[in-house]
Parts: sequence; C-alpha cells; structure tokens
Amino acid sequence: MIEEHEKLALDLINNPPPGSEIAKAKEFGVDLTLFISTLRRTPTERARVLSQGARIFQLAKQNASAEK
Amino acid sequence: MGLQGSPQVMQDMHFCYERSRPNLERLAKALKPYHPSWRGAPADLPFHFDAETIARGLNFTLSTDLGDIDFLAEVSGLGGFHSVEAASGVRNVGGVEVHVLSLAGLIKSKTAAGRPRDLHVLPELKALEEVKKKTRSE
Repeated sequence: MIEEHEKLALDLINNPPPGSEIAKAKEFGVDLTLFISTLRRTPTERARVLSQGARIFQLAKQNASAEK
Repeated sequence: MGLQGSPQVMQDMHFCYERSRPNLERLAKALKPYHPSWRGAPADLPFHFDAETIARGLNFTLSTDLGDIDFLAEVSGLGGFHSVEAASGVRNVGGVEVHVLSLAGLIKSKTAAGRPRDLHVLPELKALEEVKKKTRSE
C-alpha cells in the first residue's frame, strides 16, 4: 500500500463515512486499525505470518519446479 | 481471509479442490509425505487420504505435518471448484500463482454458511472490502 493510500485508509478508519460498512464495523467493535498493518503486507507476507502458511506455498513452489 | 488482509488469526488453511480423477490422485500424492490424518478422529482410526477416499467424500478436515488444512469440494454459497475459481483472483504467494477467494466471495460464503462464527466476521470483511476498494489496495 502506497503512502497516499495508507493516509486515505487511516482517514476512513478514524472518520468512517456515516452509514458505511466501515462505520458499521466500528460500531460492531471491530478494531479497524489492524487493517493498516495487514494491508501494508503483500499476500506473500500475509501468508508468512499465518500459521504454517508460508511453508505450504514454499513446498508448492518446489513441487512446481520439480514438475517442469 | 488472512491472504485478503483480514487480521483474524486462523489456525487452518482452506483449499477448494477440483474433483477430476487425475486431480484427486495428484492431491493424494502431494499430501502423502506430510502424513494427513482426519482431524478430530481417534488416532487409531485407520485413515488413508488416497484418491479413493477423496472420491467417496467431499470436504476433508485434516491435520498434517504442514499444519491443519481443510480441502473443500464445495464452498457454501458458491458451489464447486469452478464457481469458487470464478470468484477468485490470482495472487502471487511466495512465488506461486494462487487463486485466492475474493472478499466478495468470502462474504457470500460466510453469509450462506450462516453459523455464528461466520456471521461474526461479516462486519469486518465488509469494512475491509470497502477500505480496499477506496484505497485500491491489494
């Protein structure tokens, strides 16, 4: 996520437009600030922080290479 | 969910698989070295995750040396592999092109599943979808 988008995301999270899904989630009690750190990450980085996530994709890559 | 940017911590990963015979054989062969067992079943219950077993079932909740993995033939609200694939986008994960279910697909699926644990995450997923659209984030 580029800096400009991160600023926009922060603004949306801190001042959600009334009636938006973001506002509803905030009212529901969702910690929206966690979006910032997850959206900063690429899907690969997200997989890496998921339980065991990275290893299975590494193995898939090895298997794909072996099949070529 | 995690790959789409949800901060929810999941202990397992879900894969939707295609049910052609060659694919069932590929799946069984790929998992074999990682000792798949039926999660929640007694350890002494005989279980062989081979093509025959997969053909006789649909959704499998497995423990493996790679962690807990669920293989789903059908996803609530979406259907089988090709419908799920159509609701997915390709992401590069660790150098592998992977079809990752879209947030819209996840929302549809969680809504259809309708269990308390599914409904509980809907506000977060809908908000995340809105933030991603407005910030054009991946």
